[in-house]
Amino acid sequence: MNLLRHDLHILTGAYALDALEHAEQERFEHHLQRCQPCSHEVRDLHETATQLALAVAEAPPPQLRERVLAAVARTRQLPPATDQRPVPKPRSVWLPRLAAAAAAVAAVVAIVLGVTQSATQSKLDRVQAREQAIAAVLNAPDVRIASHRTSVGGTATVVFSEVSHKMMVTTAGLPPLPASKVYQLWLIAPGNIRSAGLLPAPAGGRTAPVLAAGLAAGDRAGVTVEPAGGSRQPTTTPIIAIPLAG
Amino acid sequence: MDGMNTRDMRVPEPGAGPREGDGPDLDSLLARVARGDQGAFEQVYDRLAGPAYGLIRKVLRDPAQSEEVAQEVLLEVWRNASRFDPARGSATTWVLLIAHRRAIDRVRSASAEAQRDQKSAAAAISSPDEVADAVEANLDRERVRRCLSSLTDIQRESITLAYYGGYTYRQVAGLLNVALGTIKTRIRDGLIRMRDCMGVGW
Repeated sequence: MNLLRHDLHILTGAYALDALEHAEQERFEHHLQRCQPCSHEVRDLHETATQLALAVAEAPPPQLRERVLAAVARTRQLPPATDQRPVPKPRSVWLPRLAAAAAAVAAVVAIVLGVTQSATQSKLDRVQAREQAIAAVLNAPDVRIASHRTSVGGTATVVFSEVSHKMMVTTAGLPPLPASKVYQLWLIAPGNIRSAGLLPAPAGGRTAPVLAAGLAAGDRAGVTVEPAGGSRQPTTTPIIAIPLAG
Repeated sequence: MDGMNTRDMRVPEPGAGPREGDGPDLDSLLARVARGDQGAFEQVYDRLAGPAYGLIRKVLRDPAQSEEVAQEVLLEVWRNASRFDPARGSATTWVLLIAHRRAIDRVRSASAEAQRDQKSAAAAISSPDEVADAVEANLDRERVRRCLSSLTDIQRESITLAYYGGYTYRQVAGLLNVALGTIKTRIRDGLIRMRDCMGVGW
Protein backbone atom coordinates (compact mmCIF):
# COMPACT_ATOMS: atom_id res chain seq x y z
CA MET A 1 0.00 0.00 0.00
CA ASN A 2 2.82 2.38 0.90
CA LEU A 3 4.61 1.53 -2.27
CA LEU A 4 1.47 2.14 -4.26
CA ARG A 5 0.88 5.48 -2.60
CA HIS A 6 4.43 6.54 -3.14
CA ASP A 7 4.13 5.54 -6.75
CA LEU A 8 0.94 7.56 -7.14
CA HIS A 9 2.45 10.57 -5.43
CA ILE A 10 5.28 10.64 -7.96
CA LEU A 11 2.62 11.24 -10.61
CA THR A 12 1.77 14.75 -9.35
CA GLY A 13 4.12 16.23 -11.96
CA ALA A 14 2.83 14.23 -14.91
CA TYR A 15 -0.74 14.91 -13.77
CA ALA A 16 -0.14 18.66 -13.59
CA LEU A 17 1.05 18.56 -17.21
CA ASP A 18 -1.92 16.41 -18.36
CA ALA A 19 0.58 13.71 -19.27
CA LEU A 20 -1.29 10.74 -17.79
CA GLU A 21 -3.32 8.34 -19.87
CA HIS A 22 -7.04 8.46 -19.31
CA ALA A 23 -7.45 5.50 -16.94
CA GLU A 24 -4.40 6.51 -14.95
CA GLN A 25 -5.69 10.05 -14.68
CA GLU A 26 -8.99 8.84 -13.26
CA ARG A 27 -7.17 6.68 -10.75
CA PHE A 28 -4.96 9.57 -9.75
CA GLU A 29 -7.89 11.97 -9.34
CA HIS A 30 -9.52 9.42 -7.08
CA HIS A 31 -6.36 9.27 -5.02
CA LEU A 32 -6.11 13.09 -4.94
CA GLN A 33 -9.37 13.39 -3.07
CA ARG A 34 -7.92 11.54 -0.13
CA CYS A 35 -4.31 12.72 -0.27
CA GLN A 36 -4.01 16.27 0.94
CA PRO A 37 -0.25 16.64 0.43
CA CYS A 38 -0.77 15.46 -3.15
CA SER A 39 -3.51 17.98 -3.85
CA HIS A 40 -1.41 20.81 -2.39
CA GLU A 41 1.47 19.81 -4.58
CA VAL A 42 -0.75 19.49 -7.64
CA ARG A 43 -2.16 22.97 -7.02
CA ASP A 44 1.37 24.42 -6.92
CA LEU A 45 2.47 22.50 -9.98
CA HIS A 46 -0.62 23.62 -11.89
CA GLU A 47 0.33 27.20 -11.09
CA THR A 48 3.83 26.40 -12.33
CA ALA A 49 2.45 24.99 -15.57
CA THR A 50 0.49 28.23 -15.93
CA GLN A 51 3.79 30.10 -16.08
CA LEU A 52 4.88 27.82 -18.93
CA ALA A 53 1.64 28.69 -20.69
CA LEU A 54 2.01 32.43 -20.18
CA ALA A 55 5.44 32.23 -21.77
CA VAL A 56 3.89 31.23 -25.10
CA ALA A 57 0.95 33.64 -25.12
CA GLU A 58 0.09 34.79 -28.60
CA ALA A 59 -2.47 37.25 -29.96
CA PRO A 60 -5.51 35.30 -31.18
CA PRO A 61 -6.98 36.11 -34.60
CA PRO A 62 -9.09 39.28 -34.20
CA GLN A 63 -12.27 37.60 -35.49
CA LEU A 64 -12.17 35.13 -32.61
CA ARG A 65 -13.33 37.75 -30.13
CA GLU A 66 -16.51 38.54 -32.04
CA ARG A 67 -17.29 34.89 -32.62
CA VAL A 68 -16.82 33.97 -28.97
CA LEU A 69 -18.88 36.91 -27.74
CA ALA A 70 -21.65 36.06 -30.21
CA ALA A 71 -21.62 32.44 -29.01
CA VAL A 72 -21.69 33.61 -25.41
CA ALA A 73 -24.76 35.72 -26.10
CA ARG A 74 -26.72 32.63 -27.15
CA THR A 75 -25.34 30.08 -24.69
CA ARG A 76 -26.95 29.25 -21.39
CA GLN A 77 -24.61 28.80 -18.44
CA LEU A 78 -24.40 25.85 -16.10
CA PRO A 79 -25.76 26.28 -12.59
CA PRO A 80 -23.22 26.06 -9.76
CA ALA A 81 -22.35 22.57 -8.61
CA THR A 82 -24.29 21.87 -5.47
CA ASP A 83 -21.78 19.48 -3.96
CA GLN A 84 -18.21 20.31 -3.02
CA ARG A 85 -16.60 17.68 -5.16
CA PRO A 86 -14.30 18.68 -8.01
CA VAL A 87 -15.81 18.77 -11.47
CA PRO A 88 -14.23 15.53 -12.67
CA LYS A 89 -16.35 13.15 -10.65
CA PRO A 90 -14.83 10.18 -8.88
CA ARG A 91 -15.58 6.66 -9.99
CA SER A 92 -19.18 5.83 -9.34
CA VAL A 93 -20.21 3.87 -6.34
CA TRP A 94 -22.22 1.22 -8.11
CA LEU A 95 -24.78 -0.42 -5.97
CA PRO A 96 -26.32 2.28 -3.80
CA ARG A 97 -27.18 4.24 -6.90
CA LEU A 98 -28.49 1.29 -8.83
CA ALA A 99 -32.05 1.44 -7.58
CA ALA A 100 -32.41 5.15 -8.23
CA ALA A 101 -30.88 4.90 -11.68
CA ALA A 102 -32.94 1.87 -12.60
CA ALA A 103 -36.00 3.88 -11.65
CA ALA A 104 -34.76 6.76 -13.81
CA VAL A 105 -34.24 4.41 -16.74
CA ALA A 106 -37.66 2.92 -16.20
CA ALA A 107 -39.11 6.42 -16.23
CA VAL A 108 -37.41 7.15 -19.54
CA VAL A 109 -38.72 3.88 -20.93
CA ALA A 110 -42.20 4.87 -19.77
CA ILE A 111 -41.86 8.20 -21.57
CA VAL A 112 -40.74 6.46 -24.74
CA LEU A 113 -43.66 4.09 -24.48
CA GLY A 114 -46.05 6.91 -23.76
CA VAL A 115 -44.89 8.86 -26.75
CA THR A 116 -45.33 5.88 -29.00
CA GLN A 117 -48.76 4.87 -27.72
CA SER A 118 -50.29 6.77 -30.57
CA ALA A 119 -48.03 5.21 -33.15
CA THR A 120 -48.91 2.32 -35.40
CA GLN A 121 -49.21 -1.23 -34.12
CA SER A 122 -45.97 -2.36 -35.76
CA LYS A 123 -44.13 0.46 -34.12
CA LEU A 124 -45.69 -0.52 -30.84
CA ASP A 125 -44.52 -4.11 -31.30
CA ARG A 126 -41.00 -2.87 -31.86
CA VAL A 127 -41.17 -0.75 -28.76
CA GLN A 128 -42.43 -3.69 -26.73
CA ALA A 129 -39.58 -5.86 -28.00
CA ARG A 130 -37.21 -3.12 -27.00
CA GLU A 131 -38.80 -2.83 -23.62
CA GLN A 132 -38.27 -6.55 -23.10
CA ALA A 133 -34.67 -6.29 -24.17
CA ILE A 134 -34.18 -3.40 -21.74
CA ALA A 135 -35.86 -5.39 -18.98
CA ALA A 136 -33.49 -8.28 -19.75
CA VAL A 137 -30.47 -6.03 -19.13
CA LEU A 138 -31.99 -4.53 -16.00
CA ASN A 139 -32.65 -8.01 -14.62
CA ALA A 140 -29.32 -9.58 -15.52
CA PRO A 141 -27.64 -11.13 -12.45
CA ASP A 142 -24.55 -8.95 -12.82
CA VAL A 143 -26.22 -5.70 -13.85
CA ARG A 144 -24.21 -2.60 -12.99
CA ILE A 145 -24.63 1.06 -13.55
CA ALA A 146 -22.19 3.89 -14.09
CA SER A 147 -23.01 7.54 -14.44
CA HIS A 148 -20.39 10.12 -15.36
CA ARG A 149 -20.18 13.72 -16.48
CA THR A 150 -19.11 14.32 -20.05
CA SER A 151 -16.40 16.78 -20.94
CA VAL A 152 -18.97 19.04 -22.62
CA GLY A 153 -21.44 19.02 -19.74
CA GLY A 154 -24.36 16.77 -18.94
CA THR A 155 -24.14 13.16 -17.89
CA ALA A 156 -24.20 9.77 -19.53
CA THR A 157 -25.52 6.74 -17.68
CA VAL A 158 -24.72 3.18 -18.69
CA VAL A 159 -26.53 0.14 -17.37
CA PHE A 160 -24.64 -2.97 -18.42
CA SER A 161 -24.22 -6.66 -17.92
CA GLU A 162 -21.08 -8.52 -18.85
CA VAL A 163 -22.93 -11.84 -18.70
CA SER A 164 -25.46 -10.83 -21.33
CA HIS A 165 -22.91 -8.69 -23.24
CA LYS A 166 -25.39 -5.85 -23.39
CA MET A 167 -25.54 -2.27 -22.31
CA MET A 168 -28.05 0.49 -22.31
CA VAL A 169 -27.12 4.15 -22.44
CA THR A 170 -29.09 7.26 -21.63
CA THR A 171 -27.92 10.84 -21.36
CA ALA A 172 -29.15 14.02 -19.78
CA GLY A 173 -28.11 17.60 -20.41
CA LEU A 174 -25.78 17.06 -23.37
CA PRO A 175 -25.40 20.24 -25.43
CA PRO A 176 -27.76 20.18 -28.42
CA LEU A 177 -26.10 19.53 -31.78
CA PRO A 178 -26.81 21.10 -35.16
CA ALA A 179 -28.70 18.87 -37.60
CA SER A 180 -25.43 18.04 -39.36
CA LYS A 181 -24.01 16.34 -36.24
CA VAL A 182 -24.96 13.42 -34.08
CA TYR A 183 -23.78 11.78 -30.87
CA GLN A 184 -22.44 8.32 -31.58
CA LEU A 185 -21.93 5.57 -29.06
CA TRP A 186 -18.88 3.28 -29.11
CA LEU A 187 -17.54 0.20 -27.43
CA ILE A 188 -13.88 0.96 -26.98
CA ALA A 189 -11.09 -1.51 -26.38
CA PRO A 190 -7.44 -0.91 -27.27
CA GLY A 191 -7.14 -1.27 -31.03
CA ASN A 192 -10.76 -2.30 -31.34
CA ILE A 193 -13.44 0.38 -31.48
CA ARG A 194 -16.96 -0.66 -32.50
CA SER A 195 -19.93 1.55 -33.12
CA ALA A 196 -22.77 0.87 -30.71
CA GLY A 197 -25.29 3.05 -32.46
CA LEU A 198 -26.35 6.67 -32.56
CA LEU A 199 -28.00 8.51 -29.71
CA PRO A 200 -31.47 9.68 -30.68
CA ALA A 201 -32.22 13.39 -30.66
CA PRO A 202 -32.87 14.44 -27.07
CA ALA A 203 -36.37 15.12 -25.81
CA GLY A 204 -36.52 17.45 -22.84
CA GLY A 205 -32.73 17.34 -22.57
CA ARG A 206 -32.63 13.54 -22.28
CA THR A 207 -31.96 10.86 -24.82
CA ALA A 208 -34.05 7.69 -24.86
CA PRO A 209 -32.12 4.53 -23.95
CA VAL A 210 -29.94 3.04 -26.65
CA LEU A 211 -29.44 -0.66 -26.37
CA ALA A 212 -26.24 -2.24 -27.67
CA ALA A 213 -24.98 -5.81 -27.74
CA GLY A 214 -21.48 -7.19 -28.18
CA LEU A 215 -20.02 -5.89 -24.94
CA ALA A 216 -16.69 -7.58 -24.20
CA ALA A 217 -14.59 -7.66 -21.06
CA GLY A 218 -12.44 -4.55 -20.70
CA ASP A 219 -14.57 -2.38 -22.99
CA ARG A 220 -15.35 1.23 -22.26
CA ALA A 221 -18.49 2.95 -23.42
CA GLY A 222 -17.61 6.15 -25.27
CA VAL A 223 -19.54 8.92 -26.98
CA THR A 224 -18.24 11.15 -29.77
CA VAL A 225 -19.72 13.88 -31.94
CA GLU A 226 -19.90 12.65 -35.53
CA PRO A 227 -21.33 13.89 -38.82
CA ALA A 228 -25.06 13.07 -39.19
CA GLY A 229 -25.47 9.39 -40.01
CA GLY A 230 -22.50 8.42 -37.90
CA SER A 231 -18.97 7.29 -38.72
CA ARG A 232 -17.29 3.89 -39.04
CA GLN A 233 -14.62 4.93 -36.56
CA PRO A 234 -14.61 7.94 -34.22
CA THR A 235 -13.40 11.15 -35.86
CA THR A 236 -13.44 13.31 -32.74
CA THR A 237 -12.29 13.00 -29.15
CA PRO A 238 -14.75 11.10 -26.97
CA ILE A 239 -16.64 13.41 -24.66
CA ILE A 240 -16.81 10.53 -22.21
CA ALA A 241 -15.32 7.05 -21.84
CA ILE A 242 -16.85 4.95 -19.09
CA PRO A 243 -15.06 1.79 -17.98
CA LEU A 244 -17.46 -1.16 -18.09
CA ALA A 245 -16.06 -3.33 -15.37
CA GLY A 246 -16.96 -4.17 -11.82
CA MET B 1 -4.14 43.41 -29.71
CA ASP B 2 -6.50 42.94 -26.87
CA GLY B 3 -5.20 39.60 -25.76
CA MET B 4 -1.58 40.63 -25.79
CA ASN B 5 -1.52 43.16 -23.02
CA THR B 6 1.72 42.12 -21.43
CA ARG B 7 0.84 43.72 -18.13
CA ASP B 8 -1.94 41.20 -17.77
CA MET B 9 0.30 38.29 -18.51
CA ARG B 10 3.07 39.08 -16.16
CA VAL B 11 4.56 36.49 -13.89
CA PRO B 12 3.94 37.44 -10.27
CA GLU B 13 6.88 38.40 -8.15
CA PRO B 14 8.21 35.63 -5.95
CA GLY B 15 5.79 34.99 -3.14
CA ALA B 16 3.20 37.35 -4.57
CA GLY B 17 0.97 34.54 -5.81
CA PRO B 18 -0.60 34.44 -9.21
CA ARG B 19 -3.29 37.07 -8.73
CA GLU B 20 -3.15 40.12 -10.94
CA GLY B 21 -2.93 43.42 -9.14
CA ASP B 22 -4.37 45.74 -11.79
CA GLY B 23 -8.06 46.29 -12.34
CA PRO B 24 -10.63 43.92 -10.93
CA ASP B 25 -8.92 40.62 -10.20
CA LEU B 26 -9.79 37.69 -12.38
CA ASP B 27 -11.35 35.74 -9.53
CA SER B 28 -14.01 38.38 -8.95
CA LEU B 29 -14.47 38.87 -12.70
CA LEU B 30 -15.19 35.14 -13.02
CA ALA B 31 -17.67 35.35 -10.16
CA ARG B 32 -19.48 38.04 -12.15
CA VAL B 33 -19.28 35.93 -15.29
CA ALA B 34 -20.93 33.09 -13.35
CA ARG B 35 -23.87 35.43 -12.72
CA GLY B 36 -24.22 36.04 -16.45
CA ASP B 37 -22.30 39.32 -16.73
CA GLN B 38 -21.16 39.50 -20.36
CA GLY B 39 -19.15 42.68 -19.77
CA ALA B 40 -17.10 40.84 -17.16
CA PHE B 41 -16.63 38.01 -19.64
CA GLU B 42 -15.22 40.46 -22.19
CA GLN B 43 -12.62 41.53 -19.65
CA VAL B 44 -11.74 37.92 -18.92
CA TYR B 45 -11.46 37.37 -22.67
CA ASP B 46 -9.14 40.33 -23.12
CA ARG B 47 -6.85 39.09 -20.40
CA LEU B 48 -6.81 35.37 -21.04
CA ALA B 49 -7.62 34.76 -24.72
CA GLY B 50 -4.00 35.46 -25.68
CA PRO B 51 -2.47 33.04 -23.18
CA ALA B 52 -5.12 30.40 -23.97
CA TYR B 53 -4.73 30.72 -27.74
CA GLY B 54 -0.93 30.75 -27.52
CA LEU B 55 -0.90 27.60 -25.44
CA ILE B 56 -3.34 25.78 -27.72
CA ARG B 57 -1.34 26.79 -30.77
CA LYS B 58 1.86 25.65 -29.12
CA VAL B 59 0.35 22.18 -28.69
CA LEU B 60 -1.64 21.89 -31.92
CA ARG B 61 0.43 24.13 -34.23
CA ASP B 62 -2.28 24.36 -36.87
CA PRO B 63 -3.76 27.89 -36.60
CA ALA B 64 -7.24 27.01 -37.86
CA GLN B 65 -7.60 24.09 -35.49
CA SER B 66 -6.18 26.16 -32.65
CA GLU B 67 -8.71 28.88 -33.26
CA GLU B 68 -11.52 26.35 -33.20
CA VAL B 69 -10.32 24.84 -29.92
CA ALA B 70 -9.75 28.29 -28.42
CA GLN B 71 -13.36 29.18 -29.21
CA GLU B 72 -14.58 25.99 -27.51
CA VAL B 73 -12.42 26.70 -24.49
CA LEU B 74 -13.56 30.29 -24.07
CA LEU B 75 -17.16 29.26 -24.43
CA GLU B 76 -16.56 26.57 -21.81
CA VAL B 77 -15.22 29.28 -19.49
CA TRP B 78 -18.50 31.13 -19.94
CA ARG B 79 -20.66 28.03 -19.45
CA ASN B 80 -18.72 26.65 -16.47
CA ALA B 81 -17.82 29.89 -14.69
CA SER B 82 -19.97 28.89 -11.72
CA ARG B 83 -17.78 25.82 -11.24
CA PHE B 84 -14.62 27.85 -10.74
CA ASP B 85 -13.47 27.53 -7.14
CA PRO B 86 -10.80 30.07 -6.09
CA ALA B 87 -9.80 27.80 -3.20
CA ARG B 88 -8.48 25.30 -5.73
CA GLY B 89 -6.23 27.61 -7.73
CA SER B 90 -6.08 30.94 -9.55
CA ALA B 91 -8.53 31.93 -12.27
CA THR B 92 -5.71 32.10 -14.80
CA THR B 93 -4.72 28.54 -13.98
CA TRP B 94 -8.32 27.35 -14.19
CA VAL B 95 -8.75 28.80 -17.67
CA LEU B 96 -5.36 27.62 -18.94
CA LEU B 97 -5.99 24.16 -17.54
CA ILE B 98 -9.16 23.93 -19.61
CA ALA B 99 -7.23 25.22 -22.64
CA HIS B 100 -4.45 22.68 -22.20
CA ARG B 101 -6.84 19.78 -21.66
CA ARG B 102 -8.91 20.62 -24.72
CA ALA B 103 -5.77 20.91 -26.85
CA ILE B 104 -4.56 17.59 -25.47
CA ASP B 105 -7.95 15.98 -26.13
CA ARG B 106 -7.61 17.03 -29.73
CA VAL B 107 -4.11 15.60 -29.97
CA ARG B 108 -5.08 12.33 -28.36
CA SER B 109 -8.39 11.74 -30.12
CA ALA B 110 -8.67 8.27 -31.55
CA SER B 111 -8.17 9.30 -35.15
CA ALA B 112 -5.30 11.62 -34.39
CA GLU B 113 -3.67 8.84 -32.44
CA ALA B 114 -3.86 6.49 -35.41
CA GLN B 115 -2.46 9.04 -37.84
CA ARG B 116 0.23 10.32 -35.62
CA ASP B 117 3.69 9.62 -36.86
CA GLN B 118 6.13 9.64 -34.01
CA LYS B 119 9.00 10.78 -36.19
CA SER B 120 7.36 13.86 -37.57
CA ALA B 121 6.00 14.59 -34.12
CA ALA B 122 9.43 14.26 -32.61
CA ALA B 123 10.67 16.85 -35.08
CA ALA B 124 8.14 19.23 -33.59
CA ILE B 125 9.72 19.16 -30.16
CA SER B 126 10.02 22.53 -28.54
CA SER B 127 13.41 23.41 -27.27
CA PRO B 128 13.58 25.95 -24.47
CA ASP B 129 15.37 28.28 -26.85
CA GLU B 130 12.54 28.06 -29.28
CA VAL B 131 10.10 28.91 -26.52
CA ALA B 132 12.00 32.06 -25.83
CA ASP B 133 13.07 32.99 -29.34
CA ALA B 134 9.82 32.52 -31.18
CA VAL B 135 8.30 35.39 -29.32
CA GLU B 136 9.33 38.87 -28.43
CA ALA B 137 11.64 38.76 -25.47
CA ASN B 138 10.29 40.12 -22.26
CA LEU B 139 10.86 39.65 -18.60
CA ASP B 140 8.29 36.88 -18.09
CA ARG B 141 9.53 34.78 -20.91
CA GLU B 142 13.06 35.46 -19.87
CA ARG B 143 12.31 34.13 -16.43
CA VAL B 144 10.68 30.96 -17.75
CA ARG B 145 13.58 30.47 -20.13
CA ARG B 146 16.10 30.99 -17.36
CA CYS B 147 14.32 28.59 -15.04
CA LEU B 148 13.96 25.98 -17.79
CA SER B 149 17.65 26.19 -18.52
CA SER B 150 18.44 25.57 -14.85
CA LEU B 151 16.97 22.07 -15.19
CA THR B 152 18.81 18.93 -16.23
CA ASP B 153 18.41 18.02 -19.91
CA ILE B 154 16.02 15.16 -19.15
CA GLN B 155 13.93 17.27 -16.79
CA ARG B 156 13.65 20.07 -19.33
CA GLU B 157 12.96 17.86 -22.30
CA SER B 158 10.39 15.75 -20.52
CA ILE B 159 8.52 18.83 -19.26
CA THR B 160 8.47 20.60 -22.63
CA LEU B 161 7.54 17.40 -24.50
CA ALA B 162 4.72 16.67 -22.10
CA TYR B 163 3.35 20.19 -21.73
CA TYR B 164 4.02 21.85 -25.08
CA GLY B 165 4.19 18.64 -27.10
CA GLY B 166 1.07 17.11 -25.57
CA TYR B 167 2.68 13.73 -25.02
CA THR B 168 1.85 11.33 -22.22
CA TYR B 169 4.76 10.51 -19.95
CA ARG B 170 4.85 7.03 -21.51
CA GLN B 171 5.31 8.58 -24.93
CA VAL B 172 7.93 10.92 -23.51
CA ALA B 173 9.78 7.93 -22.06
CA GLY B 174 9.73 6.33 -25.51
CA LEU B 175 10.91 9.48 -27.28
CA LEU B 176 13.76 10.04 -24.84
CA ASN B 177 14.49 6.35 -24.49
CA VAL B 178 14.40 6.59 -20.70
CA ALA B 179 12.70 4.23 -18.23
CA LEU B 180 9.10 5.06 -17.27
CA GLY B 181 9.85 5.39 -13.57
CA THR B 182 12.68 7.78 -14.33
CA ILE B 183 10.45 9.99 -16.46
CA LYS B 184 7.75 10.24 -13.78
CA THR B 185 10.39 11.31 -11.27
CA ARG B 186 12.15 13.73 -13.63
CA ILE B 187 8.93 15.48 -14.56
CA ARG B 188 8.01 15.95 -10.92
CA ASP B 189 11.48 17.00 -9.77
CA GLY B 190 11.82 19.35 -12.72
CA LEU B 191 8.47 21.01 -12.09
CA ILE B 192 9.22 21.43 -8.41
CA ARG B 193 12.49 23.06 -9.38
CA MET B 194 10.64 25.35 -11.81
CA ARG B 195 8.17 26.22 -9.07
CA ASP B 196 10.96 27.18 -6.69
CA CYS B 197 12.86 29.04 -9.40
CA MET B 198 9.84 31.14 -10.40
CA GLY B 199 8.57 31.65 -6.89
CA VAL B 200 5.13 30.31 -7.68
CA GLY B 201 3.36 29.86 -4.42
CA TRP B 202 -0.23 29.44 -3.60
